[in-house]
Amino acid sequence: MRQVWRLLDTGELPAANNMTLEQAILTARSRNFIPNTLHFLQFSPHCALVGYHQAVELEVEEEYCREHGIDINRRISGGGSIYMDEGQLGWEIFALKDTPGIPKRLEDMYRLMCESVVTGLAKLGIDARYRPLNDIEVGGRKISGTGGTEMGNSLLYHGTLLTDFDADTMIACLKLPLKKLEDKQIRSFKERVTCLREALGHVPPMPDIKKAMAEGFAEVLRVDLEPGGLTEYEGTLMVEELPKFQSEEWIRGPRASQESNLSAADYKTPGGLIRVSLRIDPLRQRIKSVFITGDFFAYPERSILDLEAALKNSSSRPTDVLATVRNFFTSNDVKIPGVAADDFYHALRLAISAHRRSESNGREGDAIQ
Amino acid sequence: MQMEKRAIPDDLFYDSNDFWIKVDQEAVIGLTDYGQSNIGDIIYLEFVAAGTVVRQGDRCGSIESGKWVGSLLAPVSGVIVETNREAEADPHKVNADPFGRGWLYRMEPANRNEITLLMNSSAYKAWIEERIRLKEKDDVTL
Repeated sequence: MRQVWRLLDTGELPAANNMTLEQAILTARSRNFIPNTLHFLQFSPHCALVGYHQAVELEVEEEYCREHGIDINRRISGGGSIYMDEGQLGWEIFALKDTPGIPKRLEDMYRLMCESVVTGLAKLGIDARYRPLNDIEVGGRKISGTGGTEMGNSLLYHGTLLTDFDADTMIACLKLPLKKLEDKQIRSFKERVTCLREALGHVPPMPDIKKAMAEGFAEVLRVDLEPGGLTEYEGTLMVEELPKFQSEEWIRGPRASQESNLSAADYKTPGGLIRVSLRIDPLRQRIKSVFITGDFFAYPERSILDLEAALKNSSSRPTDVLATVRNFFTSNDVKIPGVAADDFYHALRLAISAHRRSESNGREGDAIQ
Repeated sequence: MQMEKRAIPDDLFYDSNDFWIKVDQEAVIGLTDYGQSNIGDIIYLEFVAAGTVVRQGDRCGSIESGKWVGSLLAPVSGVIVETNREAEADPHKVNADPFGRGWLYRMEPANRNEITLLMNSSAYKAWIEERIRLKEKDDVTL
């Protein structure tokens, strides 16, 4: 017999309310007051959300957000900063960790949840696929990012689905690795994400999107979904906890010391120029995010986007960068005439060292070879 | 699936959440080699403040890898007396040297009887093997 899960849809809410709701539902699940739940949520007004451990000042253009009425808040889950507007749908699973069918190994659980979204998108006519570790993409372009957290015996795993997408606002309100780049590269950055409007040529009505997504989860997780509202317990927790999630202490509270610096470098190869732009946390020796462009020809085209995904949040130590790049090219059938795997390593090294040089000069890096 | 060779020092106690505890006047707590390999590349670590009183199983910090925020759960009750600021600044230390420079925090245990109920190295090894067996079952049913 299939398990019955609750299907909860709370519609559009401000960021602080949605963050509170996540905490309240997760608490209720861990205390066994509610069944496993698939929750749909939307945001209004639009907002920039940082990951649990991130520092707002390093991830968000606060002045731009203030001027444009964009809320800022902090998620209880991991991952990077995101921009959510009314054109995006949030989905999340609250479940006991030992629910039959939910793998105990995190990577397997990520895959299962993302496959649910892939199945839901197929019902809308979209050929999406899971991209390890946590993304869902269409033709190499990201359409849904995911992340999660836990409380006692329960987990929260959630993600966003881009239905329509205001890329310009996202670029303006988040500190991405491309502020210094020209229009051509900003266009190229926009090509790294897609949305239902682009994939289908139109945005289906939101109820249809939710129905397809719910069917995808029900099918892959082998459960029945029964629509339900918030319980009294969740409602009371919401009221009690909302001030915390509206507070400056929660949103901007002290985090472990970290940095986020922009750095760029060009590297010439026989096959063309490789341009690397990255954000780096020199304290943790991490590549936070990277953007690779140039005039080389890569086949398949998506391979550079996959390389960027493999480098995201990876170690910036030279031996680790070399290992990440070589491992990527060994495990993927990528052809780039005139450009060797190690050329990408050299380009990345240059950008990382450009940061070090600029640090001693007191400005952001820009190395051109 | 064979258990990869993971260090399990004999002079430590272990709990079921993959934390080790070394007991002297105070107790030092860290993540086991198996625990760190399971979590993967650790990006962030955060601890409650020194001086915080925790009960066994309480959350005394958080750990992030692969966009997942997990909990650091106290293996025994006590008062946190010091957290590893170097590991907090560079969590890679926990992956690279979980029993050495990657220790997590020191605490003053409140009840030493709790420690005697933790696992020794051979019991912990058996616990890991049981979980690997369950994961294999997961793999088959997926």
